[in-house]
Parts: sequence; structure tokens; C-alpha cells
Amino acid sequence: MGIKVVGVNHRTAPLDVRERLAHGAHEVPGALARVMAAGASGGVLLSTCNRTEFYLVADDEPALEAVWSLLGERLPTGPSPEAGAREYGYIARDRDAVRHLYRVSSGLDSMILGESQIQGQVREAWEASRAQAGPVLHRLFQTALHVGSRVRTETSLGMGTASAASAGVAVAGKIFGDLAGRSALILGAGDMAELAATCLSDQGVHITLVANRTQERARAIAERLGGKAVSLEEAWPHFATTDIALCSTAAPHAVVTWERVGAVIGARRGKPLCILDLAVPRDVDPAIAQLENVFLYDVDDLQTVAAQATARRRDEIPAAERIVEEETDLFWAWYGGLGVVPTIKELRARMDDVRAAELERALRQLDHLSPDDRAQIEQFSQALLNKLLHQPTIALKQAAEEGRGYGLLQAVRRLFGMEPPA
Amino acid sequence: MIVTLHLVALALYALATALTLAPFMGFRSAPRALTIALPCAGAAVHVVAISQLTLIGLGPALSMLALCLVLLQLASERLLRGSAVSFFAGPLATGLVGLAILSGLTPGAEVAAGRNTWFILHVALSVLGLALLALAFIAAALYLLQFRELKARRFGQIFQLFPPLERLDQLNRFALVAGFPALTLGVLLALGYGAQFSGGLHVAKAQIVWGIFTWVVLGWAVWVRVVRHWAGRRAALASIAGFSAVLLVYVALKLTQPGAERFL
Repeated sequence: MGIKVVGVNHRTAPLDVRERLAHGAHEVPGALARVMAAGASGGVLLSTCNRTEFYLVADDEPALEAVWSLLGERLPTGPSPEAGAREYGYIARDRDAVRHLYRVSSGLDSMILGESQIQGQVREAWEASRAQAGPVLHRLFQTALHVGSRVRTETSLGMGTASAASAGVAVAGKIFGDLAGRSALILGAGDMAELAATCLSDQGVHITLVANRTQERARAIAERLGGKAVSLEEAWPHFATTDIALCSTAAPHAVVTWERVGAVIGARRGKPLCILDLAVPRDVDPAIAQLENVFLYDVDDLQTVAAQATARRRDEIPAAERIVEEETDLFWAWYGGLGVVPTIKELRARMDDVRAAELERALRQLDHLSPDDRAQIEQFSQALLNKLLHQPTIALKQAAEEGRGYGLLQAVRRLFGMEPPA
Repeated sequence: MIVTLHLVALALYALATALTLAPFMGFRSAPRALTIALPCAGAAVHVVAISQLTLIGLGPALSMLALCLVLLQLASERLLRGSAVSFFAGPLATGLVGLAILSGLTPGAEVAAGRNTWFILHVALSVLGLALLALAFIAAALYLLQFRELKARRFGQIFQLFPPLERLDQLNRFALVAGFPALTLGVLLALGYGAQFSGGLHVAKAQIVWGIFTWVVLGWAVWVRVVRHWAGRRAALASIAGFSAVLLVYVALKLTQPGAERFL
């Protein structure tokens, strides 16, 4: 068994595919249970708007097949759904898988280079999968958060504004110029909605309404930003007057539809309306963008804008990659060393069993020997075994210290016919 | 000397234009100070050149129009932070100075004393009006380009370098609303000048008919902006229609009644 990561991300799959493959928090235990049933001994599911990745401690087959099948079921049905998922996906194994997670948590693999939101998402994924993660993945995710923090403190990779929320502010600025005095309504009351609303408020935008399915959370944000909390149904008429609509609900389908706001927006008489759809799956029916003077941007659009603004962060990539590599070495040394002691013990026990069996067989044929001679021979066999196992033991311990233990361990276990380590 | 000064102004405008357009050709953006200093220097030389001209004839009028355009470009840069205006105004002003040089730039005869004020006001207001309408056209064109990019969710050079839609709309409105009365007053002064000093109007019927047509189109563009409160894309299209009418009628009249001795 080894560490694997299987999944799709913003580089390999378009938004509509990522939307289908995204897992809500309530779906994580079920999805992991299926993969565990297929032979994985540990699993964590990281699902954000930019990636859906299964981190597993498993053999290649059939756990990986279970992942492809699970993802494939979410794509439009075809002759072979898992082939469809595989088309958009990737697999990284062992050291590459560790490096991959470290790059993810430090923001190096994000669409917006260095964005910090992923750190929280990695933590949430780990916490949601705690029951199924197992000791290796626990350690991996714990260290991944440490790597993310190190990269952000020791480099300038996370400096400046590079989030989708700040990109939304930039795009709105290209429509309205000065944002001070503009009005915005917020749909949704999650972390992303709150972050984006705060970004707008910082620019002088007046947050007039916060609409959400449950009003308690909406009320908290509305009170903080000076707006009013309403239900979603009460928000639709306000599309006639607001300058900016920020949508970030957790709804599984579009909530801002042509039927709900088409006529209302039509009454604006050409006044521009900027709609920032930060939700995945998207909250806004793309057909709304066909309306004159409606400027609709989804997560992909905003992340494209933010990515341009972060060009200077690229200078920090080498320093961040160095930290990732350093930490990958440390983890790999730990992981390699993890199986060394039990393997040495098992190897010695196995060899000792062989020695004892062969000694007993030989002594049966040497009845004439005195008890002293028998003791001498037993001592000799023991010394011979110790001499023979000395060098392999030293080599295994040394390889573990140098972070090369895992490969050597696998070789030893295979050579001496031992079960693979968990 | 006049031609030399115009050539220097032309070179400075051309260099400023090249630097302004550099990002669209894959080069690095020039420092903002340089892209402002060059047209400023060009305008200074241009003012010296124009001060030696009598504003009669096509060449001087084109030169004056180019200068007004550059000054408006610098003003919009300063006041409205509409730096992208130079993307259009730069090449246009450079072309107009080039045309002015080709049309012939020589010191003309002095206008008789007493008629001077009428004449200077007529030329200044007409040229300023035209330059403002050109600025309205440029702002409208920039608006439509930025609008198209924002609607199409393209975030390239136009998105980065062009001003916000709202600011372009304000610039378009200001230029159109100021340009139309200035041009109207300039034309009325020409009529008054003709009646008072030349014993009546000496213009062809075609000029009157097409002049009225242009005025009506421009008037409509201003009317929909001010009275009907058009804004954004529709207002930009109306503004472009107005300036296009001016250009088309001017070119048509120059083709049917050629001659470099008069602007129109």
C-alpha cells in the first residue's frame, strides 16, 4: 500500500465538470466509505470549487477504480462513465502525492496563485474525513497545514489581493469606476459571501440586503455590514435597483433564474448591473447575461482576473517550492521510517524461526553430541544470524533516516516474502 | 519655420502615440510620465506654430483641430483619468497634423481689423466643437470596446488599460453636450460674419442642406442623452452616429467641392 491522490482540478476539468464532481460535506463520509470498502485503509476527500481529490492509503487497484467509478457516476451517462471521469482526472503516487498536497495547501496549485482560502479548505476536508483518514493521512494533512503556514510566513506568495472576491471588486470597478456609494445585495451567507461582501464594503459599497435561506446567519452579516436580512424570495425585486449582486449560496442549482429576475432587470432601463456569481454550482442562470447591461461573472472569470493580478507572486514560486520539497523530504523520512522497526523485528523473528527449525533438524541427527557441544552449535547459529542480519538492519535504519526507507522497505518485504506494510 | 515646427510637433505626437500603443503590440508599457510629457511638449511646439498662422484655409484649420484634440486628450487624462483616450486621439491628432502639412501651411493675409473678433471666435468655437465631438466619438468607441470585453468576459489589454465604463460614459456625455453648442455657435458666428462683413452668405445649397442634416443628427444625439436620459451603449452608438454624420458630410462636401483655400 502507498499514498495516492486521485481527482480532478481546475487545470484538468472545466467548471461544469467540476460542479458535477464537487461533494458537499454531507456526501464525504459516504463517498469515502465506498472507497474504503474497495480496499483503501485510509482516505480524505478534499472537495472545493477548484478540485475534487481523494487522498488514499491504498493499493492501485481496486480502490482507484472505485474512485473513478464514483466520480464517473456524477457525469452525464455514457457507455463508460468512469472513463469520462478518468479523462478529466489524474493520479499521483507516494512522494508525488505528498508533494501534491503540500503544493495544494500552500496555494502553489491554486488557480489564484498563493490564495489562502485553500488552507482552510484543506483543514475542513481533514476534519470532515477524520474518522476514515488513518494515521498516515492524519500526519500528512497535519504537516500540509504546517507547510501552508510556512510558505505564507516565509515567502510573499500570499501577499496582495488575489482572491476571487477581490477580483470581483476589480471587475465591478471596471464597470462603475469609483465604487463608493454603490449598492450591493448579497445572496448567501457563507464564508465566501461574507468575505466578498466585506471586500465590497471596504470599497465604500453600501450593502443593502443579505438574503439567505436561513435568516439567522444572514442577519449576523447584515448587522455587521449595515444591511438588512431578508429571505431569498424577498430579494428578487431588488434586482431592479441594486448596482451589484453578489451570489454565493450553497444551492445545488441556479437560484437566480430568468423567471425570477428577468422582468425585474428589464425594468432597469439600461442601468448596468454587475452580478458576481461566486458559487459552485453556479447560482445564476447564464441566460441572464444576455440581458443588455447585465455583466455576469462566475468563479472561473473572477479567478482569471485575479490570476492576472498575481503575476508578481510568481517570483516567490522558487522559494515556496523549496519549502515544499524540504517538507516532502521530512514527511517521506518519517513515512519510510514508520515501517522500519516493525519490519526489522519481523525479519529477525522470521529468520530466527528458520534458524531454530534448521538447528533442531541438525541436532536431531547429531545425538552423540554432549550438551556443551549442542550449546556451542546453538550459539554459533545465533551469532551467524546476527552477523547476517547486521548489515541489512543498519542499511534499513540508515535509509529511513535519509528518507529512502520506503523503497528499501518494500524491497526487503518482497525479498523475504513478508506481507506489505499497512 | 511653421512647417518645421509642425514637423517637430508631428514627431512628438507620433512618438507619444507609438509609446501609448506599445502594450497592444506586445511591448512593455512606457512610464505614464513620458506618455504625458511627449504630447505636452508637442502641444507646446504646436501652439508656437499656430500662433504664426492665420487661421484661414484647410491646413491651418486641421492643425488647429489637432491641437484642440491633443489639449482635450491631456485634459481628460488629467481630470477624468481617461488615459485610454490617447489610443484614439493620438493617432487622430498625428494624422491631422500630417494632413495639415500636406495641405499647405503658410502665413496668410491678416483679416481686416474689426472683423478679427468675429473670425477668431468663429474658428475657435467651430474647431473646439469639432474636437469635442471627436472626443465624444473616441469615448464612445472606447466604451463600446470595453463593454464588449466585459460582456464577453475577456480580461486582456483592453480590460486592463481602458477606463471604467461609467467614466467613459461621463466623458462622452460631457464632450457631446459641450461640443454641440460650441459647434452650433461657431456656425452661427459664421452666418453672422457673412451677413455683416461679406454682404450675405456665400455657400452652396449642398452645404446648407448637408449642414442642416449634420446638425439634426448631432442634435438628436444630444437630445436622447439629455432629454431621454440615454446612457451607456445606446448613448455611445448615438454619439458615434453624430460624429460619423459630421465626418461623412465633410468628406462628401470636400469631394464634391474640392479646394484647400477653405476649411469647408
